[in-house]
Amino acid sequence: MLIFRKPMDGIERPQMDADVVIVGGGPAGMACALRFSQLIDAYNRKNPESQLTKENIYVLEKSREIGQHCLSGALLDPRSMHELLPGWEKEAPIDAEVSKESVYFLTAKAKLKFPLTPPPLRDHGNYMISLNRFVKWLGTKVEEAGITIFTGFAGSELLFDGSRVAGVRTDDKGVDKQNQPKSNFEPGYDLKAKITILAEGPRGSLTKQLVRRFELDKDRNPQTYGVGVKELWEVPPGRIAAGEVIYTLGWPLTSKEYGGAWIYGGKNNTVSLGFVTGLDYSDPRLDSQHVLQDFKKHPFVAKLLEGGKMIRYGAKSLPYGGWWAIPPVAGDGWMLLGDSAGFLNSQRLKGIHLAIKSGMLAAESAFEALEKADTSAAALGDFQRRIESSWIREELWKVRNFHQGFAHGFWAGLLHAGLQQFTGGRGVRDRYPARPGFQLMKPLAELPADGGMEKHLLGPCKGDGKLTFDKLTDLYHSGTRHEEDQPAHLIIHDTNICEQRCINEFGSPCQHFCPASVYEMLDDSSAPNGKRISLNPSNCVHCKTCDIQDPYQIITWVPPEGGGGPNYDGM
Amino acid sequence: MLWSETNKPMPEAILVVVEQREGKLNPVSWETLTAAQAIASDSGLQVEAAVVGSNIAGIASQVAGKKVEKVYALESPKFEPYTPDSYTVGLKNFLVSRQPKLVLMPHTYRVRDFVPKLATSMGRTVISDCIGYKREGGRLLFTRQMFQGKLSADVSFTSDAPWFVTLQSGAFRGDQVEAGASAAQVETVNLDIAGNLIRQQPQEVFKEAKQAVDLTQAEIIVAVGRGIKEQKNIELAKQLAEAMGAELAASRPICDSGWLPMDRQIGSSGQTVAPKLYLALGISGAIQHIVGMKGARTIVAINKDSEAPIFEISDYAVVGNLFDVVPPLIEEIKKAKAGA
Repeated sequence: MLIFRKPMDGIERPQMDADVVIVGGGPAGMACALRFSQLIDAYNRKNPESQLTKENIYVLEKSREIGQHCLSGALLDPRSMHELLPGWEKEAPIDAEVSKESVYFLTAKAKLKFPLTPPPLRDHGNYMISLNRFVKWLGTKVEEAGITIFTGFAGSELLFDGSRVAGVRTDDKGVDKQNQPKSNFEPGYDLKAKITILAEGPRGSLTKQLVRRFELDKDRNPQTYGVGVKELWEVPPGRIAAGEVIYTLGWPLTSKEYGGAWIYGGKNNTVSLGFVTGLDYSDPRLDSQHVLQDFKKHPFVAKLLEGGKMIRYGAKSLPYGGWWAIPPVAGDGWMLLGDSAGFLNSQRLKGIHLAIKSGMLAAESAFEALEKADTSAAALGDFQRRIESSWIREELWKVRNFHQGFAHGFWAGLLHAGLQQFTGGRGVRDRYPARPGFQLMKPLAELPADGGMEKHLLGPCKGDGKLTFDKLTDLYHSGTRHEEDQPAHLIIHDTNICEQRCINEFGSPCQHFCPASVYEMLDDSSAPNGKRISLNPSNCVHCKTCDIQDPYQIITWVPPEGGGGPNYDGM
Repeated sequence: MLWSETNKPMPEAILVVVEQREGKLNPVSWETLTAAQAIASDSGLQVEAAVVGSNIAGIASQVAGKKVEKVYALESPKFEPYTPDSYTVGLKNFLVSRQPKLVLMPHTYRVRDFVPKLATSMGRTVISDCIGYKREGGRLLFTRQMFQGKLSADVSFTSDAPWFVTLQSGAFRGDQVEAGASAAQVETVNLDIAGNLIRQQPQEVFKEAKQAVDLTQAEIIVAVGRGIKEQKNIELAKQLAEAMGAELAASRPICDSGWLPMDRQIGSSGQTVAPKLYLALGISGAIQHIVGMKGARTIVAINKDSEAPIFEISDYAVVGNLFDVVPPLIEEIKKAKAGA
């Protein structure tokens, strides 16, 4: 019997008042806090008589240490960092400046180099970073500035006051598997905030509550996502230069799936490589961890990695939907930042710079709102205007139809992308429509039993233990850890659907789309189809793919007890 | 209005409820007393102490040696054995008549058990687990930690006295409690507690069994994995363990399903062991398990999948169905042991 996490009912909770609560200490949240602090410092310099305090600004971060849950490729477009902290390059942890780039189209055995690097993939002037180390550094800046970061605390629910967001409830700690308080039980706090800023990353759990409650997705394109599965390698010297960037398209995906790989040469012979698979594929047996393993078997990649060692693993979803999928980003008492809003350029596969910029703009609007003691929807709507007149809009407008152009496969997509390049992003119509990716998953009955063209991508990968790995081995290298005695934080709203319908219609895709082996169908003679759904919540790497990709939309990811999760280092 | 001599209000007091168990004073009580003395010297309140129990004169006189105005020995046979109801009813009766301003207690398990009930029954609140105090504009503020120690909050009472405060252990120095110039007066208060008010019936006191098994000390371990299939088959592994004189352990899925307790789990989220002999039954050998047992001197694995990764680190590999292999193995071990 599965028992799911929910905030304890009928208990009294400690309350705390705050000016601003930022949920999520990633690049967006940290930039927001830092910009806020700068505005306060500037104000206090000008007004020595009436000092503002930073004491009532808090950042909630569910990981035990700052940056631990952040994962990306990553290349950083430095534009927003130049604005936030001029001279930042001198002290930030940077692996290398991009020195060389190439794009390949892969077939099963061969590679074709694009004669010219397409403009969106030109990365000169960008920096190779490990996002989690970068955010750790940004976090020290925030703390030095005097803003409190509550690490190990997750936002479990939004607090509402009518149609106003009134703050955040943090996670209950010390709850056992049966949802009963343990001897170390500590109720979550009710943080009553004048402004609640959600910077939870892609598919934020509070953001989801907010979008539902206020129907923020109305008249927008549905958000679409990809999942990036990443490994960090140490390779023998001389294989790839620090600062060298390789993108590949094509194999192992067929022309039907959307996705591609990155290979970045880092410092000290490290290689960051990963594969982003669009979460809009049709075969429910497709496994994104398997896709990455297949990719590594390509002679081009295998040669690069040969004799090397995989040292880290992780996965994270990313929002692809672009401009038309971005919900309103401010309302009564709330704002949305970064990946939670969908600020990601899907053509360049870059979002960190936009996350940072959105955090800065939010801080500016929030500061003015607090100064005027007006945090209503009208006042915070200033953030919406700032976004729309900033270079975020300019950059995203040009690629507003990019991902949608690939709805009918790779080749049609290239055609649309080319056309859009010459029409300022318009292509054949001003707003290309989109469908949520999970709707594109096909029932097994409509697919070839052996998988057809996609055969090699389906089901679990066995791994040879050197170049390729089974999922559990990969997962071990994510360092993920959770308190074991707690209720499951992957809420399945109706497990009958898993055991009676999904198993027959889709063959239980949760086992495949989860890159962390959280979901399992176990033999059980008492279950209607001989198998029951079982969860390994402590394997979870917080990528949110299950919440996005399940074809019945019955999975809700909520944060586990704060402090649990992957332990990314150098990712 | 003039107070008559008998009606003269008692001086306002801080009452420290010390903790005793089986006639022994819990030394954390000295910390509470130190705190009370400090608050008293700041606020002009006087310090009094109360001992709760049955036949507690000895403890009362021990406390009376410290710098306190008075010690109350609150006696009732109903206090032994401890029940939250007897403490609540007894203390409430006493507090209503004595009317101290502030009631200080150490934040012990026992206090945590009864103090919410006591405060609620008097329509008061508790500021619990405090680490210090301040005086601000004539008000007493108590400091509590929030967000696991990241923040400290100063909290004050808005209700009428008595105010209940419990103190975190270690927040004050018990060895700094001031001794009195002379022994304080001890007043024995016999409390009459109606039996029907006590709803709990304590059973024999027991110590939680220490972890029954320390797997790290085991010389032989029989570990079961998913290959055991069903809960009822655990019995088979148990029999093998018994025959071998081994401890029984498991990989995570087994403990996760509740087929064996969590303290028998080996691996990255369980224990790390290095026995002389490790017998793995139906364990595939995911790295999460291997890291917990690869230090074993001899590893024997039984698994029907010849490609199971456990075989890569095994000294002896038995490719076969454990249900075919284990029963005769048990018989052979028994025979060998009987023969020896």
